[in-house]
Amino acid sequence: MIYPEFESLKVERRGPVGWLINNRPERLNAMSAGMRDEFALAWTELDRDPDVGVIVHTGEGRAFQTGVDVTEIASDGVGMERYRRSLEDFDLHFTSWHQQVWKPVITAVNGVCAGGGFHWIADADIVIAASDAEFFDPHVSIGQVVAIEAIGLLRKMPVEAVMRMAFVGRHERLSAHRAYELGMISQVVDPPEQLREEAQALGEKIARNSPAAMRATKRALWGALELGLTDACRAGAGELVSMWGHPDQEEGPRAFAEKREPQWRALTEP
Amino acid sequence: MARSATQRVTYQTLDVERRGRVGWLVFDRPEVGNAMDATMFTELEDAWRELDRDPEVRVIVNTGNGPAFQTGLDVAQLSKDKEALREQSRRTRDATLRLTAWHNEVWKPVIAAVNGTCAGGGLHFVADADVVIASSNAVFVDPHVSLGQVSAYETIGLIRKSPMEPIVRMALAGVHEHIDASRARQLGILSQVVDPPERLRDEAQLLAEKIARNSPAAMRVTKQALWGALDVGLTDACRAGARAVASLWGHPDQEEGPRAFAHKREPEWQPLEPLDVDDEGARA
Repeated sequence: MIYPEFESLKVERRGPVGWLINNRPERLNAMSAGMRDEFALAWTELDRDPDVGVIVHTGEGRAFQTGVDVTEIASDGVGMERYRRSLEDFDLHFTSWHQQVWKPVITAVNGVCAGGGFHWIADADIVIAASDAEFFDPHVSIGQVVAIEAIGLLRKMPVEAVMRMAFVGRHERLSAHRAYELGMISQVVDPPEQLREEAQALGEKIARNSPAAMRATKRALWGALELGLTDACRAGAGELVSMWGHPDQEEGPRAFAEKREPQWRALTEP
Repeated sequence: MARSATQRVTYQTLDVERRGRVGWLVFDRPEVGNAMDATMFTELEDAWRELDRDPEVRVIVNTGNGPAFQTGLDVAQLSKDKEALREQSRRTRDATLRLTAWHNEVWKPVIAAVNGTCAGGGLHFVADADVVIASSNAVFVDPHVSLGQVSAYETIGLIRKSPMEPIVRMALAGVHEHIDASRARQLGILSQVVDPPERLRDEAQLLAEKIARNSPAAMRVTKQALWGALDVGLTDACRAGARAVASLWGHPDQEEGPRAFAHKREPEWQPLEPLDVDDEGARA
């Protein structure tokens, strides 16, 4: 598949792994209005590409992502108001969760992740980081409320750590090592230069599994964050049963018995 | 019950003080492990309200005098005060307790600084704090089931906030096991262990002063959004959170913050507007 041209992102495929790379390194990958629109398109394109099994999201330069581009906000007279409608309607399209991407998504944090950058930690399935990555949330230090990305995080990791970041603001940073201890991320890559190789290797591992089974699994697990335990299990059982009779469920055991890689069915439309 | 913000109350079971912009709420019944008697029940409500309403106070630290942080109900005292015991039982049954900052709808940031044993009902104050730190000799234990009592309220709060297995283990092991400060940090129940233990209050004050440098208005809306998120599903929580974010747009702190940052000076935040709540500030 040939992807459209992007200004503030790089979108490419390496084997079964689709790469979405924040590409405004001179602005620490802060999200301009243009980049926000490009995210919506990039996720959709990677999700559509039948050759992409897993998506890795990372950044160019010394930052992963630093949230809304404050310079743009401050300089053109429109300010945050441009986003009021979409926020009040919760009509957002810049993460894979917003765009309902059901392929596995790995966020590979290559450096500073600040403020709105946490959206892509909260909304990824798997998060790994370079050993020199640092996390902090300056919202309240500049008079802004932090909610959506912190809400996503506190469903996924110990809450106290999220609240501490939210209230300490820019006066403290969380290390990649502590993020690993807390289960916010599952792998620290050292030396940091190895991050993309490790992300590719992890993406390739995951891409060896049944795309259809992973899609139903991802739906069940994210859906569980919407409900109480019993309701979530009930809905999860529905996803589980939906795969029964799928050809991958014959192919998986057969390939295992024959000690070969399984030939999975390509994803059909949901 | 209406008191002006500046009026200082005298407490028998608590120390309530200010150090700069930090309000301190200190359990002060060290001879009984700071256990809560009928007087402390009333005084906790008054103290949270006093600190919440004081415009000079930006952040609240909650700790205890003596070797314990908080050890729950003072059963011995309450057995002599049937009326108080009945009232507390009723509030427990109706989930209308007024012990903690969360119960009392305090929307300023609250740091629990656990200075020693935190047992049983004392866990309420850990579950309901925004930030938790502890001295290296602090321990967490839940004796309820060893006394034939059910553990639910405070442990439910904790399982929302940390890995569940250690909390259930603590609830079921009763007096026969405890979690120490360093394990609690590994688990993310708390974020900082202070050693030597004598440094706890200094570290709590420092942390509170850091937090006090941030916009009070932004922190209040943030706190409401994050705690509210624990009550609903993810999408509904994000939806409410998104509205919370936009609700503060246009607030003067949002001009002041970036301006102060650009000029490399401390921001001058607006004082908090009073919240439009009834005098009892009830969590109905």
